[in-house]
Amino acid sequence: MSRPRLGVVKFASCDGCQLTLLDLEDELLAITDRVDVVEFPEATSARSKGPYDLLLVEGSVSTPEQAEEIVELRRRSAKLVTIGACATAGGIQALRNVAHHDSWRAAVYPEPAWIESLSTATPIAEHVTVDAELRGCPIAPGQLVEFLTATLVGRRPQLPDEAVCLECKRAGRVCVVVASGEPCLGPVTRTGCGALCPAFARGCYACFGPRESANVAGLRRGLVADGMTAAEVDERFAGFTAMAPAFAATASKAAAAYREGTVAEPTTDRVEVDDARR
Amino acid sequence: MHGGEGRGTGSGGGTAPAPTVERDFDIGQLTRVEGEGSLRLRLRDGKVVDARLAIFEAPRYFEQLVVGRQPDDVLDIVARICGICPVAYQMSAVHAFEAAFGVTIDPVVRSLRRLLYCGEWIESHALHVTLLHAPDFLGVESGIALAAIDRGAVERGLALKKTGNHIVALLGGRPIHPVSVRVGGFSRAPRVSELAVLKPALDLAVEQSLAMVDWVAAFPTPAYDVEPARLVALKHATDYPMNEGRIVSSDGIDIANTDWSTTFRESQVEGSNALQSHTLDGRPYLVGPASRITLAGEQLHPLAAEALQRTGLAGEIRTNPFRSIVARAIELVHAAAEARDIVGDYRPPAEAHVAWQARPGTGGWATEAPRGLIFHEYRVDERGRVAWARIVPPTSQNQAAIEAALIGFAPGVLELPEPEAHVRIEQLVRSYDPCISCATHFLDVTVEHEPPGPTR
Amino acid sequence: MTPSASMTSTAGSAAITTPSAAEPAFLERHDLDALIGALQAGDRRVIGPTVRDGAVILDEITTAAELPAGVRETQAPGRYRLEEGRKGRTFDFTVGPMSPKRWTFPARVPIGTARREAAGTTFTAATPDAPPLAFLGVRACELAALDVQDRVLLRGPVADQDYAARRRSAIVVAIECTTAASTCFCASMGTGPEVRDGADLVLTETQAGFVVRVGSDRGTRLLEGLPVRPATEAERDEASVGVAEARSAVRANVGVATTGLPVRLEAALDHSRWAEVAERCLTCGNCTLVCPTCFCTSVEQVSDLDGVESTTQRAWDSCFSAGFAAVAGGTFRSRPQDRYRQWLTHKFSTWVEQFGTFGCVGCGRCVTWCPVGIDVREELAVIAPPPRPSLPILSIPAPVPADGAWLRSARILGSHRETSDTVTLTMAWIDAPHPRPGQFVMVGLPSFPAAPISVSRVHDTSIELTIRAAGPATAALTALPTGSEIGLRGPLGRGWPVDRMYGRDVVIVAGGIGLAPLRPLIDTIVDDRLQFGAVRIFLGARTPRDRLFTSELSAWTEAGLLVDETVDRAGADWLGRVGVVTHLFDHSERIPEGTIAAVCGPERMMEATADVLRSRGLTDDRILITLERHMDCGVGLCGHCQLGRFFVCRDGPVFSLAELGDTFGREGR
Repeated sequence: MSRPRLGVVKFASCDGCQLTLLDLEDELLAITDRVDVVEFPEATSARSKGPYDLLLVEGSVSTPEQAEEIVELRRRSAKLVTIGACATAGGIQALRNVAHHDSWRAAVYPEPAWIESLSTATPIAEHVTVDAELRGCPIAPGQLVEFLTATLVGRRPQLPDEAVCLECKRAGRVCVVVASGEPCLGPVTRTGCGALCPAFARGCYACFGPRESANVAGLRRGLVADGMTAAEVDERFAGFTAMAPAFAATASKAAAAYREGTVAEPTTDRVEVDDARR
Repeated sequence: MHGGEGRGTGSGGGTAPAPTVERDFDIGQLTRVEGEGSLRLRLRDGKVVDARLAIFEAPRYFEQLVVGRQPDDVLDIVARICGICPVAYQMSAVHAFEAAFGVTIDPVVRSLRRLLYCGEWIESHALHVTLLHAPDFLGVESGIALAAIDRGAVERGLALKKTGNHIVALLGGRPIHPVSVRVGGFSRAPRVSELAVLKPALDLAVEQSLAMVDWVAAFPTPAYDVEPARLVALKHATDYPMNEGRIVSSDGIDIANTDWSTTFRESQVEGSNALQSHTLDGRPYLVGPASRITLAGEQLHPLAAEALQRTGLAGEIRTNPFRSIVARAIELVHAAAEARDIVGDYRPPAEAHVAWQARPGTGGWATEAPRGLIFHEYRVDERGRVAWARIVPPTSQNQAAIEAALIGFAPGVLELPEPEAHVRIEQLVRSYDPCISCATHFLDVTVEHEPPGPTR
Repeated sequence: MTPSASMTSTAGSAAITTPSAAEPAFLERHDLDALIGALQAGDRRVIGPTVRDGAVILDEITTAAELPAGVRETQAPGRYRLEEGRKGRTFDFTVGPMSPKRWTFPARVPIGTARREAAGTTFTAATPDAPPLAFLGVRACELAALDVQDRVLLRGPVADQDYAARRRSAIVVAIECTTAASTCFCASMGTGPEVRDGADLVLTETQAGFVVRVGSDRGTRLLEGLPVRPATEAERDEASVGVAEARSAVRANVGVATTGLPVRLEAALDHSRWAEVAERCLTCGNCTLVCPTCFCTSVEQVSDLDGVESTTQRAWDSCFSAGFAAVAGGTFRSRPQDRYRQWLTHKFSTWVEQFGTFGCVGCGRCVTWCPVGIDVREELAVIAPPPRPSLPILSIPAPVPADGAWLRSARILGSHRETSDTVTLTMAWIDAPHPRPGQFVMVGLPSFPAAPISVSRVHDTSIELTIRAAGPATAALTALPTGSEIGLRGPLGRGWPVDRMYGRDVVIVAGGIGLAPLRPLIDTIVDDRLQFGAVRIFLGARTPRDRLFTSELSAWTEAGLLVDETVDRAGADWLGRVGVVTHLFDHSERIPEGTIAAVCGPERMMEATADVLRSRGLTDDRILITLERHMDCGVGLCGHCQLGRFFVCRDGPVFSLAELGDTFGREGR
């Protein structure tokens, strides 16, 4: 029986989510025995333009070419699964969606005209239908294994949509909000990471994105009642899943605050154009 | 991802000389490196006169993303520049802030940061050596294919990578984008019992990395020397360079690692989304394991120094990029051995992190990422927030050197059948372990033949 | 959820004797290590309070030095801070985020493994891994919580073996509170601060040490090995004063007016406050997981890449997650206010009818550890203030015992496709009681969660299960060929009360797959036709191709049952009626008095049918329905199918509308 054809592709991102597959050191060879990795530029020179039975997509759409590319990839994939905060919510770079893209480009590159990028970094689902998603920044190895196992076995993947708080309490951690006054987005964030941050005495920063019934307004009020300013609370949401629908309004307020008079000076004083190489 | 494929253009019209043979090199996306870029070689009369690396990884504007943010948030953000080397970004950033604010860290925290960096070096080098680069030397297309002919070697590489990841996860919660690095130290320091679980794995890692040195030293290796090699690395009085040291070069540079900007500069090149670096006089230079071993080899852990000596390849490492794989294996030995020492001596610090106060000013700092020197500089305003940032990854510093090496190397292989020429050129590029999400990456190789005739 | 069929007695020790007030002993503070040493006898691990990460938590301790000496805490809604306590005191705090539940009912516990091999499929129940424990420093409220969990997990018709093993082997050394936090309300819940029974030894702290009373024979034996002497009168008085001070402190806190509370809450299900709480509530579930009595769990599968070997484990879950009450068609509690109401009414109202006590013991953890500081005492005061008129409490139906520790292997003897998405499997059925009409079984495959499936026919050595492929687990079942093995558990639940139908007219109304649990009832009627009066069957289906058991309709008609059919929509080749099933009643005669109706189908359909039947004069006690809910265990232990005071799996799935009352048809219940 032929093995399912797996593709792994990347858009604008840091590479961490596809690296998570290579980080399944104990399971990797068992997985590659059961699926045919036909396209995974990071890991193999074997190339294939498809068709794919399962395509894992990392990264957000940031350039015009990428916007076309994803449509083509969708056509060639039976199942398209987004992995990670960039692909599912746009990632940290999506904060530019609410900024002045041109001024950012000019701030980093002295010849902004040479850089072709979109003014937005958008999640994959804004461009094509997505069959499933794995959240996280990066995704959790356990959830990746569960997803691949469930796909091979035929069962529904167990990716619970519940608050980080449940996993935190199961693990016996002390709540950093209640016991230390640390801001923590756990109550509105989807579990999956194993409640990492409270284990390291800091609050959750929502890299897995919002859960169902995320009561952002309620948490904001609670944190303000604990003594934070509204601006400080809003800033907690301007992170790696800032543009997820449940967080976007709050995150945008924070991003607007950064915009006010805080765009970096133009860089002409320190970066030159390489005239010899025009 | 597959964009930006150029094609060699044909010759123009004109009179006189016999038409040159034209060949299109279209490697497409370079695989088994991290990132996307294209290489365009310009040939004139059979000579390669220009090599242009065009990096078309989509820019994410991190130097703008951190503007307006608080220092601890910046540490979380800059990790996302790279999934393979997030610790390198966090370390450079945290030291830059501590330099700006005048924060002194606990000596135990210093050791823990070195341990964290050891973990990342082990993970990154094991990944590159086994899964990304060794396949080239052994004629297979991937680590997966390599497992079919030598499963033990791949399992060994994966086991080493797992140990490196385990170290980072123990200190930071997870190997990719760890959560515990804070200005002043860590949000939480491990208990002795928590680190002690690493001991058996580290004993094994030392053995495995030594075996890996023997393995890679015996690879059939192309002979190709880049002379003169112009190498740059950190150098510290007693420690193999990671978080501290002076920036030195093989030709006399010797400055504090806070002062990178006095001697180096970035520039933008048309067709590339990544800025490149040169010294102020415009010359390329190389950072990375080969530079470190050459410039700071005296500070290698004795086990690593012995292993290097046994290979007899110190000289070749200095000049032959294809020997960088040996350099990485030597550094694996060093990282495993140093990690073992740190874990053995560990006692928890008085506090996981010290209290600090932001103050306006500028702080810069260079550390050594697995791929080489990495420099961060931040200007902080009166509110304690970042007003301006400069982030210089190792791969963008190496780009000019890579292009120069390709110009020298390409003529020797362009006569080979096209698929083989591609493999050779890619193998050379991979020997620099380019990290493209950092710099944005490789690689479509396109050879353009300039029409003969009057020169420009 | 590893049950045993027999009921176990209260865990903790053999006979619990009332502490003898005449002979309390005294233990000097510096002899606490002797106590810990005595508790450690026989490789027992001592679980006691210790400070970590800014709170007093419970963990294994080996010396008295690890106890939180000189530490106390302040607690308020959403806030907990440690501070310096009275010098020289070891237990000058109250309760932290953890309770003994962490060890008696751990967060994750294996239930069993399943292996699928060529030779067959085996299901092996897990044996409880329960190392002997001693709890040191258990508060009165926590003792009450242990008793509450005993009622749920030990004294129901099915006991949880894992819990029983852990409880039975644990020694309990209680400490009476001599201080109170602002969030304590044990006094108003009747659970403290005095310790009455449930402990082997009871300590009360004084400045110099501890007054010690025995609470059981095991406690007496323990005491004999300790360096104690009789307590002086002054010491006993100091102890009493300490507890009395705690009592005054608690009484000064806001409490809960418990008299008549269950009934008042039940009457306040439409209060406007629920929506208001929902704006504040984050549905994060923290309250349920710090609560020492919450017992709801879910089941997780861990399998290898091939699905050959899988482990099933039970994990703490919370009714605050949307998925908790989900079935294939959606979730029963989609709104946050539904979930908050579910929790509060279960804890303070329906729990009483189910188990005989409140679910709440007044420990205050849910108040302190709520990140936004919602205080149940405040909410109850608004939603259910005293006094209110009382309503009669209906009687709880007798539950039916189930057998078997987990799933057992059964072979598929035949597979028959009924419709495009429905298959009937005939299963070998031996060594188990015959399912009664209306009962169900839990059906599972390795690596898949088990699902409740109605038994649609019973033979001598086999049963039939009619399964609709609604999700991956049921799809996998319907795809199995004859000869495969699956896991079954049961028969479960309370079925149709056939003996109530003897001598009466019967109306049977089935919508879609709802006919499956009704078919055994029809079989019973057909087999014994003379025992019943006029019997009419009304069948509804979505389209003609979705009709079930079409080949049997003529046999039913021949047996003297009137059969009427309709479909919701059809093409030109359907010559029968088109419309919803309730329309069939438009064409029927009056329903005679005394008729019993048995209805099954989608919940909306059952509501509409009930309305029609009522309008025809049927009283609620004569209208029987069968319900579908999310079930993980099938025996009333995981909490998912709780509906008001019932567990649908155990008290149902057949109910009369009179029993359900207001609960049936109310949104979000």
